[in-house]
Amino acid sequence: MSAAQDLSQLSETELIRMEREIARKHIDKFPYLAVIWAFTNLAVWLALWPLVFMQLIPLWLAFIIATANVALSYLPSHEAQHDIIAKPGTKLRWLNQLVGHLSTIPLVLPYRVAKVTHMAHHKHANDPALDPDYSTHADGPIRAIWQSIKNRQPRAKGGFNAYGDMLTREGCQDVLLHGILYEITFYTIMFALAWNGFAIEAALLWWLPRHIGITYIHFYLSWAPHHPAKEQSRYRNTRSFRSILGNIGSMGMQYHIIHHLHPRIPLYRTPRAYWEMKPILEARGCDVEGL
Amino acid sequence: MEKAIRTLFYFGPLLFAFGFLAPLIAQTITVMGWTPPFGLTPLHTGLIIGGALGLIAQFRGKWL
Repeated sequence: MSAAQDLSQLSETELIRMEREIARKHIDKFPYLAVIWAFTNLAVWLALWPLVFMQLIPLWLAFIIATANVALSYLPSHEAQHDIIAKPGTKLRWLNQLVGHLSTIPLVLPYRVAKVTHMAHHKHANDPALDPDYSTHADGPIRAIWQSIKNRQPRAKGGFNAYGDMLTREGCQDVLLHGILYEITFYTIMFALAWNGFAIEAALLWWLPRHIGITYIHFYLSWAPHHPAKEQSRYRNTRSFRSILGNIGSMGMQYHIIHHLHPRIPLYRTPRAYWEMKPILEARGCDVEGL
Repeated sequence: MEKAIRTLFYFGPLLFAFGFLAPLIAQTITVMGWTPPFGLTPLHTGLIIGGALGLIAQFRGKWL
């Protein structure tokens, strides 16, 4: 299908059929990259600790690597949240769950919290009251970064506090408890390291990388693909955009619209699916002017 | 249990200040070779600065 093709004359049924046909080609592809990425990223981050404590690498270098590790830790879990690695009841389901649980450890975000809140985000994208990620909404890129920082303040309404509110509202107390246990464990480790003479190491291997990583994730995985976050309909609640860091630098989020329309398409297939689907998206009135 | 967790999180800024910021400031002073004023030790300095920042954050509900 050529991008120049005008499909606006086609019926709703015909557009849906074509869109699903393209999506079907990209669904159920095993995301090798996400699985390798999950375990490699976690292994590298864990290895930094003994390497720094044994003074085998300088702390400044470990800090840079740890920051990249935290920023990279979310997306493999995201593939697992959508059962892209393996659906329930299949042979490799254990791998799906393992990736989901392990990959976000540097981010201190439990898989169950991530999954429940992310599904709510898909269901209610851009709804100020019901989308748990709505708090990343901001008027521009600088304000988006500031908003992410504000959302992490102790009595903020957004960010992880919004996740807590959403889980309480939905009666997911057991999931919320996971989040609380993760937080308590994280701070217990931080305090123990700090009072044993490793405060700078703890700050530069986990605490600060986590803050920078969360800011980056909020910016590229939440703010940029949903900006201006004013519409809630299926074809208008997200967009394609051109990132100054490119598609890899924005962790594949330039094609986020494909993910919201067909969440079971693996991340690495979204660019191809986007270019194949673009004429349909244009006919649907999607915001695809960025790419 | 729920009340205990709520209380713990409510006092999060103060806990963070004394649990993490104070030793972080103390270690930074030592590593940089600075001498705290008034004959204070690096740890006492960390506790005073970290504690003050934590107290402010506790009342304001935000660090920044």
